[in-house]
Amino acid sequence: MSGAKWDVAVIGAGPAGLAAAIAANKAGARVCLVERESRPGGILKQCIHDGFGLVRFGQKLSGPEYAWRDIQLAKERGIKLFTDTFLLELEAREEGFVLTLQNSEQAVFQIVTRALVAATGCRERSARQVFIHGQRPAGVYTAGTVQRLINIGGHLPGKNCVILGSGDIGLIMARRLTLEGAKVQGVYEIKAEPSGLTRNIVQCLEDYNIPLHLGATVTKVHGSERVEAVTISQVDENLRALPGTEEYVPCDTLVLSVGLIPENDMLLPLGVQIDPRTGGPAVDQLMATGQAGLYSCGNALHVNDLVDYVSESGEIAGSSAARFSLGKPDRPCHLPVIPQGDIQYVVPQKLDIAAGGQAVLYFRSARTIANASLEISAGGQVLLQKKYKAVRPPEMERIVLDLALLPPGTEELSLNLRG
Amino acid sequence: MTEKLNLVARELAKLGLTAVYPREWRRSVVLEGEVDTWQQYIAAGYAAAGKGYKGVVNAIKVRGLEQSREYLPPAQGGALEGKDYDVVIIGGGVIGCAVARDLTRWDLRVALLEKEDDVAKQTSSRNNGMIHPGIAASSGSKKLAYNIRGNRMYTQAAEELGFELVRCGSVVMLGKSMYQLALPYVRYKALQKGVDGLIPLSRRQVARREPNATSLQRGGIFLPSTGVVAPYKVTVAYAENAVENGAAVHLNTAALGFAMEQGRIIGVRTNQGLIRAGAVVNAAGVWADKIAAYADDHFFTIHGRKGTIAIIDKALGATQKSVLALPRLGVKSYTKGGGLNPTVEGNLLMGPTAIEVSQREDWSTTPEEMEFLFSRHLSLNRQLRPRDTITYFAGVRACTFEEDFIIEPSEHVPNLIHAVGIQSPGLASAPAIAQDVAAMAVEILKTTREVKPNPTFNPERRLTPQLAKLSLEERGEAIKKNPAYGQIVCRCEAISAGEIIDAIHSPVPATSLDAVKRRARAGMGRCQGGFCTPAILEILARETGKAASEINKGRPGSQLLAGETKTGGGTRT
Amino acid sequence: MEKMLVCIQCPQGCKLTVSHSGEGVSVTGNKCPRGASYAQQELINPCRTLTTTVRTAFVDFPLLPVRTLGEIPLKSVFGAMGEISRLVVKKRLRPGDVVLEKLYNTDVALIATDDMTMGEKYAKGSEDYGRDGILS
Repeated sequence: MSGAKWDVAVIGAGPAGLAAAIAANKAGARVCLVERESRPGGILKQCIHDGFGLVRFGQKLSGPEYAWRDIQLAKERGIKLFTDTFLLELEAREEGFVLTLQNSEQAVFQIVTRALVAATGCRERSARQVFIHGQRPAGVYTAGTVQRLINIGGHLPGKNCVILGSGDIGLIMARRLTLEGAKVQGVYEIKAEPSGLTRNIVQCLEDYNIPLHLGATVTKVHGSERVEAVTISQVDENLRALPGTEEYVPCDTLVLSVGLIPENDMLLPLGVQIDPRTGGPAVDQLMATGQAGLYSCGNALHVNDLVDYVSESGEIAGSSAARFSLGKPDRPCHLPVIPQGDIQYVVPQKLDIAAGGQAVLYFRSARTIANASLEISAGGQVLLQKKYKAVRPPEMERIVLDLALLPPGTEELSLNLRG
Repeated sequence: MTEKLNLVARELAKLGLTAVYPREWRRSVVLEGEVDTWQQYIAAGYAAAGKGYKGVVNAIKVRGLEQSREYLPPAQGGALEGKDYDVVIIGGGVIGCAVARDLTRWDLRVALLEKEDDVAKQTSSRNNGMIHPGIAASSGSKKLAYNIRGNRMYTQAAEELGFELVRCGSVVMLGKSMYQLALPYVRYKALQKGVDGLIPLSRRQVARREPNATSLQRGGIFLPSTGVVAPYKVTVAYAENAVENGAAVHLNTAALGFAMEQGRIIGVRTNQGLIRAGAVVNAAGVWADKIAAYADDHFFTIHGRKGTIAIIDKALGATQKSVLALPRLGVKSYTKGGGLNPTVEGNLLMGPTAIEVSQREDWSTTPEEMEFLFSRHLSLNRQLRPRDTITYFAGVRACTFEEDFIIEPSEHVPNLIHAVGIQSPGLASAPAIAQDVAAMAVEILKTTREVKPNPTFNPERRLTPQLAKLSLEERGEAIKKNPAYGQIVCRCEAISAGEIIDAIHSPVPATSLDAVKRRARAGMGRCQGGFCTPAILEILARETGKAASEINKGRPGSQLLAGETKTGGGTRT
Repeated sequence: MEKMLVCIQCPQGCKLTVSHSGEGVSVTGNKCPRGASYAQQELINPCRTLTTTVRTAFVDFPLLPVRTLGEIPLKSVFGAMGEISRLVVKKRLRPGDVVLEKLYNTDVALIATDDMTMGEKYAKGSEDYGRDGILS
């Protein structure tokens, strides 16, 4: 099985992968995109609600429209796309990465690429992964599955729903189910504050009089064939269910929006270092992982709340991969980025100071803080300060740092967020 | 009062169960009366066990406690009315399916009745898949004899039927206090029981074999004959091979009673009509006592013991090679306490726990059981954390109070055979049990007719491709022959549309989401069906010619959808 | 009279304070002009973009995602959904193509937001889709 040779191969034709492929192509690379579904666009295909693209296009687009723009661009640029194609094996060799792929028409085949961009997105945490108990009746779905059933299949998963978790997908599905004629009893969030965007609380819940219950979670699913009810319990400050607060809420469907997990399983055999805080590979500002020629972007790198930033990280990864493949890249010179104070995580986790230019830093706060201040410092010197009216864990922050500001001999960069 | 009965009465009195009345019936003891709790009911049953009776029938009422609910399939007219078989097996668990397959070695008309929509729906899909070495079974028990024999038979069964068997071995680790004391005893016991190939291990040898094993171990023993299988796949394999050799598997068919004539069973009453039977095998799992009662041969009572099992992400599969267990002093348990074992699919599995339950079909899990599993097993492998759990489930063991298998022809009904009280190591024992039960059935039939071997019996099951087990070249060939193998549906486990379609059209067709899962493994990975459920649903609808809204998880009422959207259709644009 | 609102025009979610005083309405807390017009509209007649799907006549693309080209009154949303549920798209549309000129007694059009021709190429097994890439 000898395969075609590429400068850059991109795994996943969702928004991150499309942006990466286009950016790499613009930089002159021969690019191919590998997609396991029948159509490109990734999860945006089922995100039919609007609100995508405000940052990138200055417009409120629906998910398919947002994806379509990049799909058209990729098409015009003649970027090769393998659809319905599944990655079986990934191997790093002297000549580059060898991808063993399969699809119905070419059966099993291999391609070789000098650089690889992993844009594999994320998956949803399931009911059992948040330790919900009871039998295993039909009617327990993740929000993404519900979205797929309704928006792509035209199926109505249930008529009387409880939603656990106030992440954006959960809120959006509350509205979607309501519009399609289902009753949504309420959205329950274990934390003391919602984890979705405020505008989604307004336009998805308040518009339709769907109650939001904070500090409460589902502890048991009732019913053996189909969901008959759930038990809701209030939780204490450690998020443990409080005995005596149980409430029995009849319903036929439980929808879970309880977190997303970056998908990087295919990278593990390569020995790529995963940041336990993000669930994605540790990268520098070029989106380069520790493995030469391997780049990560989008929700596989860390879970984003806006697709615009998914695309941005894809563009960075794609152009970096092209540069690696085509040019003689400078030997990287890395220094670590250290999160301090109330920072939950920072991406990138390291900076390649040899690359110069500007670095885009994405971070999340560990808790909600009003009037927060961020300080970026290196070698005892404060390089940048920024004030925030409020920072919330669900809302990712982005800041651009000019690497020229770094004093010579810097050994690490720290980001410190304080209340 | 006989001496034996006195003994039972004294034990009951010791427990303070003054409203429980024992009496003798045939060679067994029957308990009647009333108690307040299920625990008392169980305690009374054990008080009567081991006193020299054939069996314990526990007919005690528990005040205020609901009888165990039992699922029965809807009545479906008389589709099977008048069917006539030489042997009818009641129960499509691993025992029933293995018996059915062994009976097709003979020129007989064999039928298996299963009340659920698929085989392996209850205990046979809700256990840890362990092929035990036999060391835990008591000397002289049926469990021991069948376990040792069954374990040895698995290698051939796996080859013939094409299911995976991994002889991963088990490392029984001994803690500080137990090592000196227990090792010589364990070796002696193993020798005496006929356990194959025990190897003593020092602490360092354990650590070398299992580098992630708990630091509490002070050495242990290695039992190389321990194996693991996917229990539902074993059951399906037996059922499919039985069908290929001419047996009939009637799903959604519940035995509701027997038609008797002069003390013999002449037919089985079912929700699909009366089925005539030359001989009947009772392999009805948690409901085996009810089936026995239909024939007035109710000499044992089944009580359910629930076990919860957790599955660990494949990413940690490589951290452990063998089954790990660390027995504890003073922990009395009627199970082997479970352990932490590899699975044939590359995950790790912990459990099962053991809790007496009055509901025989309640497979719910609780936070307490999970906490117990974690507290007991997580530390066995130092790499594991609770968040590595991808799913968990429970099963109910079909226990008798004597805690041994009952594998024998009925003493009162000449053409009834019991294969009941099957709990751990029942899976490991299944090939041997099936061999004996089939022979018993043949003996019964031989009293009235000649029984010849089946000239066309083929012990090898026809296999459809399992892509995960193929080399890249073989995979490529399979896809070229059938492009549906090229399209991956379940991305976590890399299961193709072709494999799902094969499962739907297999000899025992998988027509529900869960049945597809048991055959093809689609939806069993780390996303737990999040991505592939809609696609499997659509494939099922297409292949079975049903509407998507009719597709369910198995039983009626478990439909996945409430309906379709946009049903106002009409106007065209 | 004062009213608190959260602006939903972008993900920032500005907290708006709307004050009625005699004839005028004043809005504070908005970081951009869209916030002010949103607040004023919200007081008179809350309007929303409606996004949903429409049935199609194509098995390879059974549902077409659609949205309103502009906002419709929130109170009309369920009526609009009823009208939409009776539509069946019989032509392969692309993003921006009009599905319905005037949705449910408004002057707002309903437009396609996905490309059904991608499904068509796939259904025909056409050379330039799939294996060799719809994009090439």
